[in-house]
Amino acid sequence: MADTLLEVSNLSTGYGDVQVLWDVGFDITRGETVCLVGSNGAGKSTLLRCLSGLIPATAGGFRFEGREMAGRSPQDIVAAGIAHVPEGRRLFGPMSVHDNLLLGAYLRHDKDGVRRDLDRVLSLFPILAQRRNQAAGTLSGGEQQMCAIARGMMNNPKLLMIDELSLGLAPQVVEMLSETIRAISKDGLSVLLVEQDAITAFELATRGVVLDSGRVRLIDATAKLAENPAVQEAYMGLA
Amino acid sequence: MIYLQYAANGIILGGLYACIAVGFSLTWGVLNIINILHGAFIVLGCYITYFAHQLFGIHPFVSLPLAGLMVGILGYATQAGIINRVVGQSVLVTLTLTFGLDLIFNNALILGFTANYRQVVLANPLGTVEVAGIFIPLDRALAMVLALLLTFGLYIVLQMSRLGRAIVAVRFDREAASLMGVNVMRTYAITFAIGAFMAGAAGSLLSVVFPIAPITGHLFLSKAFVICVLGGIGSVPGAAIGGIALGLLESFSASIVGPELALTVAFVVLIALLAVRPQGIMGREDMH
Repeated sequence: MADTLLEVSNLSTGYGDVQVLWDVGFDITRGETVCLVGSNGAGKSTLLRCLSGLIPATAGGFRFEGREMAGRSPQDIVAAGIAHVPEGRRLFGPMSVHDNLLLGAYLRHDKDGVRRDLDRVLSLFPILAQRRNQAAGTLSGGEQQMCAIARGMMNNPKLLMIDELSLGLAPQVVEMLSETIRAISKDGLSVLLVEQDAITAFELATRGVVLDSGRVRLIDATAKLAENPAVQEAYMGLA
Repeated sequence: MIYLQYAANGIILGGLYACIAVGFSLTWGVLNIINILHGAFIVLGCYITYFAHQLFGIHPFVSLPLAGLMVGILGYATQAGIINRVVGQSVLVTLTLTFGLDLIFNNALILGFTANYRQVVLANPLGTVEVAGIFIPLDRALAMVLALLLTFGLYIVLQMSRLGRAIVAVRFDREAASLMGVNVMRTYAITFAIGAFMAGAAGSLLSVVFPIAPITGHLFLSKAFVICVLGGIGSVPGAAIGGIALGLLESFSASIVGPELALTVAFVVLIALLAVRPQGIMGREDMH
């Protein structure tokens, strides 16, 4: 398993006395896009928050490039190469798009690399180049999501975790973002995608993890999940 | 013509006030901590400068970096060691903590330096010049220029540097900032240290203008409070404008209704302003 990038095993976590995740286990191979599907409250965002060090694991752990990362600080995890695009974008509203992108590269000291990645994300999202000096809070919803993804990519991560890619966005914008995700994963970046819209998620990812009430119910290729009657009924709106 | 003189006095005082308030405002805006210790930090800066002058003959404007640095280090230790344990809790908790720390600190100052008033008396004062009928005391004017330069310097650091971006990011959304790899607790400590540095530096400048005793810390604190609310919490330009506004207000009201009522007038204006523009002159409603 030399090409395993992320390996989550028996991970449990929660908030105070409320346990949200039980014994979650799955892995992501280098360059692979994996989607995390589940209904509201299944624990998808909590899983990402645990993987980025915002909340501690209460049991189990996860290895990134073979190194145990559970219990590490968010800075260590960012430095190791995991970028988290949080639910609701969470841009720094009063700061310019440019400053938001630079914050994505906060821990990097390779100036040339940062400049190259800045050019790269601005060519991926040309609208951001136009809006460069505008306050991030004034962007439209779709532009904010682009800015949030671009900010995550400024860390030059090995794994990009995106929470709710399509939430509240127009179908054309979702289509455009999906194209971008395909393009960056073709460049070798691994993506962990949290998505309520299973149809979009299955189009983008090669494998899917189905979370239900904090436990992993199914892990399979997305093509197979899409044909699974139980998945169709629960997450794709098909009976 | 006399009004121009009041205005000149007010602006000179106001520049110093801006420097007093800007660190207090930064701490309040970024950490959501109303730092009652701020006045004591200013007084400590005064004492460092005073003794540097008395014992070694160092000019107050030369010992300013030293005073700022020493108080800044003390600020870093205070935040990293003590206040970070309760940061993010309600203002009542942090206010009570800094209030308690201030009591300890103030009494330590009285123990160490007695309650007597002291003032730096410069060996070679620059004197006063007359420009178009307005008298300008040069030492004070120089102190004002340095105060405004320090304030402007802080503004540039916050706007342009990596550290500044981290501070603004932590202020706006600490969790999102930590997802960028920003060490939130250390950023808090650095921010508090910058606030303390500004207090110590302001203390150096004030030492040539005001007589200082431990008790005067509370006077400076109340002024910083008024300026912050006048100008808008957490805004550097707001502190500068609020400081000059308070300086002018005090200068004019001291001349017109009497110096003993100057601060009262300032508070009355503050209350009136709060009724019409609660976010302050430069404050933004979305920044709270």
